Amino acid sequence: MSTLYKIYQHALKQITLPKVRAFLLPAALIGHLLLQFPANAMADDIHLLAAASLTEAITEAIESYKSISSDRVIGLFASSSSLAKQILNSSPADIFISANLTWMDTLIRENLIETGTRKDILGNRLVLIAPISNTMDLSISKNLDITFALGDSRLAIGDPNFVPAGQYAASALKQLGIWHQVVDRLAPGSDVRNTLTLVQRGEAVLGIVYETDVPVGKNIRIVDYFPIDSYPPVIYSFGIVRGKNSPAVQSFYDYLTGVKAMEIFITFGFIPR
Amino acid sequence: MVPLSPDELTAIELSLRIAFWSVLISTPFALFFAWLLARRNFVGKLLVDGIIHLPLVLPPVVVGYILLVLLGRNGLIGAWLYETLNVSVIFKWQGAVIASAVMGFPLMVRAMRLSLEGVNQGLEKAARTLGAGPIRVFLTVTLPLISPGILTGVVLGFARSLGEFGATITFVSNIPGETRTLPLALYTFTQVPSGDSMAFRLTIISVALAFISLFLSELLARRIRAKVGN
Repeated sequence: MSTLYKIYQHALKQITLPKVRAFLLPAALIGHLLLQFPANAMADDIHLLAAASLTEAITEAIESYKSISSDRVIGLFASSSSLAKQILNSSPADIFISANLTWMDTLIRENLIETGTRKDILGNRLVLIAPISNTMDLSISKNLDITFALGDSRLAIGDPNFVPAGQYAASALKQLGIWHQVVDRLAPGSDVRNTLTLVQRGEAVLGIVYETDVPVGKNIRIVDYFPIDSYPPVIYSFGIVRGKNSPAVQSFYDYLTGVKAMEIFITFGFIPR
Repeated sequence: MVPLSPDELTAIELSLRIAFWSVLISTPFALFFAWLLARRNFVGKLLVDGIIHLPLVLPPVVVGYILLVLLGRNGLIGAWLYETLNVSVIFKWQGAVIASAVMGFPLMVRAMRLSLEGVNQGLEKAARTLGAGPIRVFLTVTLPLISPGILTGVVLGFARSLGEFGATITFVSNIPGETRTLPLALYTFTQVPSGDSMAFRLTIISVALAFISLFLSELLARRIRAKVGN
């Protein structure tokens, strides 16, 4: 930008015709925009694709990595399945963090993850949440009358078709034998943060998210924790995308899976494994 | 042909139902605003024109978000609706109708306004001198003359509704059998590991539906044109 600006300033001094001068600014702007396209497309940034529930923790980790290295890391957050699909369709991703093991298994089977880079190092827990204005006292058990608790509202969970948090939630509800009560009363979200928003806005009176999502939301409270044995363990799986293990990526990956980043994850409530 | 699954049928039926209702509700309003913009001059006309065109320019997700803020259970209008009338459109197909209607509205107004502006006002004046009142003139002279424009507006609105995704998923979520229309079902399948073949089927269904709608509207347009004698 700065060189472009200098050229522009220089040109302005040289040219005295007002009509040409007036034409110069839009021309310079368009020229700059045209140059940007190939430049940015080829930039050497590190692209990190991570499960939506990791948004704040990873952003913090990327921020603190800046004091160690000048490499630019770009974090992209969505449901693990959306991200895995993007990697399957060869989007420019360098590092992938999945909120469920199935997707990491799939990518490894498709030979899309560098051998030996997979690390399953973080855990999380599932909680039932409600807006703070809702003072219902519920405890999760086989006898929970969730239909009654919902009233005419819905239970917000990640879409069990593809959002890991929703899949964990569905298996917990099935295990507890209350799935049949809610199967027609769901508000499926596109990722776990969408679920959080629905409850935060009071559109749904109950929702199921990860424990670490709760501090991120506003005006929500934990109603109860799901029994740890009612759903498969929530494990985050890290890996470098095949062919992307450049020294820069490797160095960031070592940081991300190292002690320093783990401290950040722990402050955000994630459980080291 | 491979028979359609119940889920696919539900999505098709829902898409058509939402498109039908959104067009039905918005047509009279679109006609009114088309008339207002084509025939009347008033203070703030540019503003009204701008507001009507907003959904055309704004990202659909933004429109969905605005609807959520206004009509959600705790929204400015939604909270009142819920408390006084016990009505809430959130998570309901009726909410999807509203989203579709808002998104298609500028297209409908534009088409109707263009054809209104093309009407020879001499014909209306002639009818007035022959003793017809303004309402009779509108119903017997103006309306038949602009019927091709109305049809175009309706077709555009219907098509916009069939393709509506962003505003719908933001406003009323993605609930099977309630708000999961064809595009939303397709999106859901693109997120599932083994969903590609299902997504492909829905793509074909969408294309077929679009063709059938266009074909029917063309047939109708021909009949109208023959009648109006254009």
